[in-house]
Amino acid sequence: MTFEKKRASTKQEIPTASMPDIIFMLLLFFMVTTTLREVEVFVKYSLPEAEAIEKIENKRLVSYIWVGKDKRVQINDNIVKLDEIQDIMYKKRTDLPNIIVSLRVDQNTDMGYVTDIQQELRKASCLRINYSTRVKS
Amino acid sequence: MIKKKKLPEATIPTSSMADIAFLLLIFFLVATVIDVDTGIGLTLPEYVPPEEQKEVKVDPNRMAAVLINENNDVLLDGKIISVFQIKNALKPRIESKIDLPSNKKLIVSVKTARETVYNTYIQALDQIKEAYFEVRDELSNQKFGNKYDDLTAEEQQSVKDAVPIIISIAEPEQVKK
Repeated sequence: MTFEKKRASTKQEIPTASMPDIIFMLLLFFMVTTTLREVEVFVKYSLPEAEAIEKIENKRLVSYIWVGKDKRVQINDNIVKLDEIQDIMYKKRTDLPNIIVSLRVDQNTDMGYVTDIQQELRKASCLRINYSTRVKS
Repeated sequence: MIKKKKLPEATIPTSSMADIAFLLLIFFLVATVIDVDTGIGLTLPEYVPPEEQKEVKVDPNRMAAVLINENNDVLLDGKIISVFQIKNALKPRIESKIDLPSNKKLIVSVKTARETVYNTYIQALDQIKEAYFEVRDELSNQKFGNKYDDLTAEEQQSVKDAVPIIISIAEPEQVKK
């Protein structure tokens, strides 16, 4: 007596017809969320670490100032001098009255230099600042 | 009779569509920078030219002076402590002023030497902020039985009023060289 193996009559295939659609959905999601870097950062810096950090609620208001290891200061796409900061930031502030200045300062910078930048910011009345830090892990 | 040639069906081969989409997907996955802007927020005081600066006497009980010198030593109200002790030293002082009116709350004044390393300054600021956040969390727990972040806006405001974060960045002084 021979037994015949029972086989499921349904096809054993994963339907792949909708695969492109699914992937396109994912693709669209990433295309929408991607923000390509607008500015190229010329200075080298490594941020300090901190625990008690806050997220900046409104990204549109943020303007960055980079300070690198070699004490060069970058705003937007340019390396600027210390005494130019006031004019640049004042112009920015007139466009965006409640601007938040995010300071991305290298962790080994002298405080004196940071204080000088802060003084310039105060003269330009950009008073809301944020010391950019990494999350302590 | 000529047999009509059967035209092949005009279809675009879609089997490779998934692959193409995958390639695009991978490109965007790699190119995406989800950088979150995190940091320590602070509001600078308004600029006053040196000639117009006035000295305001503040009750010494209200002040907690954090001084950091160029060797990264920390002096809190005249006592030398390490950076990591700032939080625990400040917490009881903040707590003791919860019930006082808003013009009697603690002011933390941070002053650094010019040669102080930025990292130390951030560590100190971090400790101060953390002290405030922990006091806020504890107060929220007492009053509303919830963490500060989970409170409603009005409850948060009441906690904020009880524990305002006042950090004063000292006016830079002319240093003798």
